[in-house]
Amino acid sequence: MPLLEIKDLHASVADKPIIKGLNLTINPGEVHAVMGPNGAGKSTLSNVLAGNEAYVKTSGQVLLDGVDIDDLSAHERARAGMFLAFQYPVEIPGISNMYFLKAAVNAVRESQGKEQLDAMDFLDLVEEKKKIVKIRSDLLERAVNSGFSGGEKKRNEIFQMAMLEPRLGILDETDSGLDIDALRVVADGVNALRSEDRGFLVITHYQRLLDYIVPDFVHVLVDGQIVKSGDKNLALELETAGYASWVGE
Amino acid sequence: MDLTALREKAEADFKAVGFPSTKEELWRFTDVSRVANAEFSNDWKASDLEFQPLDKITVVFENGKLSREKSSIDDLPEGVCIGSILDLVDPRIGTLANAKNAFVSSNTAYFADGVFIDITEGTRLESAIHIVYLADVEGAAFHLRNFISAGADAEVSVIEEYIGKAGTQYWTNVVTEAFVGDRAFVDHYKIQRESAAAFHFQTLESHLGTASVFSNHAVTFGSALGRNDIRGKLNGEEGEAICNGLYLLKDNQVFDTHMFMDHAVPKCNSHQLYKGILDEKSRAVFCGRILVQKDAQQTDAIQNNGNLLLSRAAKVNTLPQLEIYADDVKCTHGATVGELDEAALYYLQTRGIDPEKGHAMLVFAFANEVLDEVKCKTAKAYIEQLVHAWLEKVQA
Repeated sequence: MPLLEIKDLHASVADKPIIKGLNLTINPGEVHAVMGPNGAGKSTLSNVLAGNEAYVKTSGQVLLDGVDIDDLSAHERARAGMFLAFQYPVEIPGISNMYFLKAAVNAVRESQGKEQLDAMDFLDLVEEKKKIVKIRSDLLERAVNSGFSGGEKKRNEIFQMAMLEPRLGILDETDSGLDIDALRVVADGVNALRSEDRGFLVITHYQRLLDYIVPDFVHVLVDGQIVKSGDKNLALELETAGYASWVGE
Repeated sequence: MDLTALREKAEADFKAVGFPSTKEELWRFTDVSRVANAEFSNDWKASDLEFQPLDKITVVFENGKLSREKSSIDDLPEGVCIGSILDLVDPRIGTLANAKNAFVSSNTAYFADGVFIDITEGTRLESAIHIVYLADVEGAAFHLRNFISAGADAEVSVIEEYIGKAGTQYWTNVVTEAFVGDRAFVDHYKIQRESAAAFHFQTLESHLGTASVFSNHAVTFGSALGRNDIRGKLNGEEGEAICNGLYLLKDNQVFDTHMFMDHAVPKCNSHQLYKGILDEKSRAVFCGRILVQKDAQQTDAIQNNGNLLLSRAAKVNTLPQLEIYADDVKCTHGATVGELDEAALYYLQTRGIDPEKGHAMLVFAFANEVLDEVKCKTAKAYIEQLVHAWLEKVQA
């Protein structure tokens, strides 16, 4: 069964249609990249999937593990295994990263009928995940994303993903604002999380992220529709030719 | 002036000035006619209220009078003197709190008790001094006068806690004077949990010596009408004044903070972080004034007031003010009034946290920025517990 199926999706923001009939299927273990120019609908796609209420699905169907997620709100989608790594992670002063992660992990565990982690078990889990995604301990003690650099915020997103072990990871322009070192660290984290039963949707404007997170499939998103699909070589083509041939029509 | 003369003069002042009206600049957002027009008695009874001692040293006032029986002040370390202000007279009483206004003057004239704390030079007191004021006499006025003195290099934590019986109307009028010696550290907390029908007014005056630190955290939950006048004077170089506060208001509560920090000498810091969470039809006033005198070069002053409105009917008047006469200073101030951050709520949701829990987390987070600044672990744990309890009630 496909992990994610998007069928003829239409979505609007403030009554303006942005996604205009999008089809995409991701099977477990696959990494799909969606590339597109500014205004193509990249962020709308990630937000409508994650359940942001400002982004309204007007028609079509989205199935996660065969289940229509239409009636699920954002936290229920997260509990069902969807994870959105934000382009601009939100700063939350006053909540420590550790407290936040524990609340998140236990919320997801509760929905799965698993026992709540106590403080000790939670710390063990953090230590285990720190081996996969390198993150400085002081960032975990500090308030969520508060005063973090761009790279630290993105690393924190990937660390959260490692902690929550989602079925599907959506990376919304994770490369934006990152220097090459930070990009590599983030990509290493994502690669370490790739597995047979987990899928990824990597949304990006630039090809360079895909040098580090090598996708199985590449799709070109223009004006709310996928206009071309191919393998990783399509990304290289785009890097040379740009989006002009599609946008200029 | 001896104390008797001082009190006679204060009584004359009080009768002359009377209660302020909203036409006066310092009182324009807070109408005190409910206090001015009420009749208060001096009735007294032992209190039925319970309290939780926070540390080894507890000083308990029941309905305005020191209770030696309920207090734990018999076995004090060397260099520490704690007692009733009526027994221990210091010529400095009344030298800081000398304003001619209804609340200070009536307090000086009529104070019936209060705590006297004297920490001698070089003494570092490990236990916090927990002062509990229990109030459960309907219609009473409690004029309380506190005096805190920390000698050079002394260190002390003082937690004033005001507890009132639900539904009881009374008036607490307290004046606290704090003398902080050179290089001394006074960590002062005020936890106001008066009855929601009560009136509570406090003037806190502090005087900071060279390289001393005075830290004040004012946490307000109670009273129908309340006001803190928090005033400090930085009198020696490299002094540091921290005045933080948190007010959690609901129903028709009105709470007013007036702050005045006077930088008289160079190289001092003053930091003020005030946060308010307002529900229902409650109203808050924050007026913070930092004065940097012309000799006070290299002053570093920050003032911030943030307010979170949980209801459309809640209101805040906030007026941060800087008055600077020196030219080499670093001063910033800011104020915000807002609702819960929807982007943060969505972010929490995408991590599996339901909106109800996310809401509670964010409201606590807003308050927690102030709690993070609390150094005294005893005070911190207790305030945290009270904030959680308040939030649970509001969100129920």
